[in-house]
Amino acid sequence: MSFNVLIVDDSRSMRAVIKKTISMSGFKIDQCVEAGNGREALDVLAKSWVDVIISDINMPEMNGFEFLEELKKDSLLKAIPAIVISTEGSEKRIQNAFELGAKGFIKKPFLPEEIKKVLYEVIGVSDEGEYKEDKRDDDAFDF
Amino acid sequence: MKENIKRIRETMTPSIFEVFEKMFYVFLEPLDIRYDEYDMEAAISFEGTISGDVRILFSREIVRAMVQNMLGLEGDEIAVQDMEDCSKEAVNMVCGNFLSRFDSTKVFNLSAPTFKESQPECFESGEDICRMDFDSDNGKVGVVVKI
Repeated sequence: MSFNVLIVDDSRSMRAVIKKTISMSGFKIDQCVEAGNGREALDVLAKSWVDVIISDINMPEMNGFEFLEELKKDSLLKAIPAIVISTEGSEKRIQNAFELGAKGFIKKPFLPEEIKKVLYEVIGVSDEGEYKEDKRDDDAFDF
Repeated sequence: MKENIKRIRETMTPSIFEVFEKMFYVFLEPLDIRYDEYDMEAAISFEGTISGDVRILFSREIVRAMVQNMLGLEGDEIAVQDMEDCSKEAVNMVCGNFLSRFDSTKVFNLSAPTFKESQPECFESGEDICRMDFDSDNGKVGVVVKI
């Protein structure tokens, strides 16, 4: 089973590293689309459907928290699990991210296995590619 | 103030080791003597229960090694933009990692990182400055925390 992933980060290098790290982790990517901030990410999502979003917090124009708020407002987009990836690992920041609808949090610097674990957890799929029904957010599909 | 600087030094050291090892596969060792021949610098400011800035001073060779290891690029494929991006990411991660170790219960606001490709200003450790230098097989790194 392979997945479409959207990576949102203002650093081109970091987007490349996240993509490379996901591939190294063994998580199968079908398509990987990228955006430099929340605004660009919304434009990408208007054109293509993804299975999971990985977003930084500190970005110009629209930061990660504002982006999560926009996702939450949209009955379709809120169904896509979002993972926040950030250097800012304070308890309050992590709590903010989850309150805004994030399903996972990865702190930079990260290891491939950390990314893989969170990705499978939020998508609700086991390492073998089996869906874990109880992990899926059924409320998110209420539109 | 002296106690704060001591705590900053103790907190910053594992942060810089963790970021350089995990993200850039570069293994640093503390230098006993000060090194001043750096070629570039990335900096970021932070505000919270303590405020200040973190500067990372790099030798050219170490930044090239970081780009090679992080992005898998070969020597002639490395552009200045890659070196800038990598240096800015490094200071961003080191500062974030340092602040969450310093006080994980508080929120700190970080500025956008900046990059300068020229010999950085020399900073001496003092009442409000913590300066550390590190060596590796790939070049040298200096860290300055000003509060």
